[in-house]
Amino acid sequence: MRLTLHSFTTLLMFLLLALISGAPALAETLVSAVSSSNVAITSNFTGTQILVYGEIARDAKTVSRTGKQDVVVVVEGPLERVTTWRKDHIFGLWINATSQTYISVPSFYAVHATDDLRNIASEDWLKQYRIGLENLPLAALGARSPATERNAFKAAFLRSRVQHGLYSQISRSLNFLSLTLFSTTVDLPATIPTGEYKVTTFLFSGGVLLDQQEQVLTVAKTGFEQVTFNLSRQYPAAYGALAVILALFTGWLAGVIFKKD
Amino acid sequence: MTRGAILQIYLPIAELPINVFMIFAMGGTVGFLSGLFGIGGGFLLTPLLIFSGIPPAVSVATVTTQIVASSASGVLSYWRKAGIDFKLAGVLLCSGIVGSAVGVWLFGILRSLGQLDLVISLAYVTFLGTIGVLMLGESMKAIMRRKSGEAPVGRKPGQHNWVHGLPFKIRFRRSRLYVSVIPIFGIGSSIGFLGSVLGIGGGFMMVPALIYLLRVPANIVIGTSLLQILGTMAVATFLHAINTQSVDIVLALTLMIGGVIGAQFGAQVGQSMRGEHLRLGLGLLVLLVGLRFAFNLIVEPEDLYSVSVIEGAVK
Repeated sequence: MRLTLHSFTTLLMFLLLALISGAPALAETLVSAVSSSNVAITSNFTGTQILVYGEIARDAKTVSRTGKQDVVVVVEGPLERVTTWRKDHIFGLWINATSQTYISVPSFYAVHATDDLRNIASEDWLKQYRIGLENLPLAALGARSPATERNAFKAAFLRSRVQHGLYSQISRSLNFLSLTLFSTTVDLPATIPTGEYKVTTFLFSGGVLLDQQEQVLTVAKTGFEQVTFNLSRQYPAAYGALAVILALFTGWLAGVIFKKD
Repeated sequence: MTRGAILQIYLPIAELPINVFMIFAMGGTVGFLSGLFGIGGGFLLTPLLIFSGIPPAVSVATVTTQIVASSASGVLSYWRKAGIDFKLAGVLLCSGIVGSAVGVWLFGILRSLGQLDLVISLAYVTFLGTIGVLMLGESMKAIMRRKSGEAPVGRKPGQHNWVHGLPFKIRFRRSRLYVSVIPIFGIGSSIGFLGSVLGIGGGFMMVPALIYLLRVPANIVIGTSLLQILGTMAVATFLHAINTQSVDIVLALTLMIGGVIGAQFGAQVGQSMRGEHLRLGLGLLVLLVGLRFAFNLIVEPEDLYSVSVIEGAVK
């Protein structure tokens, strides 16, 4: 369990830092960090976890608030264009017939919070900051369809993403380690897309957003995986030729090894 | 790290991890059957990969690469036995390249329309269903005939059919043939086309077509068909790499290694079996794969919705 040890040491360091720095603040502010700013996809990659942790900074001057404080962590993958298809029964066959396309939806999306989202802030706040699966802006491209149809597609899209582990929303998964220190671990499944991820931490108090912090997380293939993928995209002809030569060589080798005399 | 993680390998193009031993076993099983029946086995391997969760586009493109490897070792051994008509294979290959270029082009269009799965399924149902039934019928008849002691109906020398009346004739010395290029082009291009769209070599269609339509001698037919498949699939791999960019070299290599080993054992078992029994088995297998696809099309799916990411992220 390298991760937990690593995160424990980073947490300790963070704690020390927090104790040393005593800058004056008028309201609660947020300091947050991610256990690792890089996720490397190697040949034995089967998914990983990242730890998001931080502190709600306050000092003596801070007006103590009576309302409860809530922290929300949102991890958002690079945006992509996605089509959802629905099969219809046509001429006795189940065929992809109707579709809706969303032009920019996150390829990965995880929300962790200290409480149910509806207890943290009003829907307007949540919608504005794209917090929660229901509050992701999913506007279908082109053709106008009735609301029931749009909702059915939206529900199917979210269901599929949740099933594949690409979208998740877990309330009360964010723990307070002390009155001000919090942490949560976010699962990144094996099928996560590569690219720049945004990790945003929000601090709410009594339904009002007090502060937010953003970190960048890079998910990239490394080593052999990266070389292979880049070759296939940048030099497709060379990649194709390589594939053919490899196949010919394997076939030839097998012919030589298993040659019947 | 869990024990399962050791067996997993991340596929760089398919962008998902897969169990190495599962792929190895699949390649080995299909290789065994291909050695047993003397076929490429693409029509079995592609569906197996699709049903195990690899995207259809990657499955189809990668199997074309695997077929190059499996047919290469076959070509080598027929070459040693002088069992290849290079001129005939060359003409078939040229038409095959035309067919597979059209196939790869159509593949890209269908993928962007979201109808690739449907076309693959329908084509599998149609072709495998028809060929499976024909093979079953033919092999059953042969088995009945043998039981009743009737002499098999062979090819009479000099016997001609309508194909031999067509114009633009070319002479093929090795096969002792003088036939029109039109049927050769037809066979080559349609199998090249199907090969690149369906991820199959088409040997199980090519061999009967060459025997029954063109009357190519039996000792030449398999070697020639294998060489044509090798060429067509090499071109299809290359075109897929450029056009659809869905050839996964790691997946291909794993399949190849399993496949070439399995094929050796299959060929040994196959030699001790009767021809019509082999054809009966192959016919059943072909029909079953076709029915499996038909099942997916006819039975209402559990989830009517499916989500597909369109290539090229925004921003």
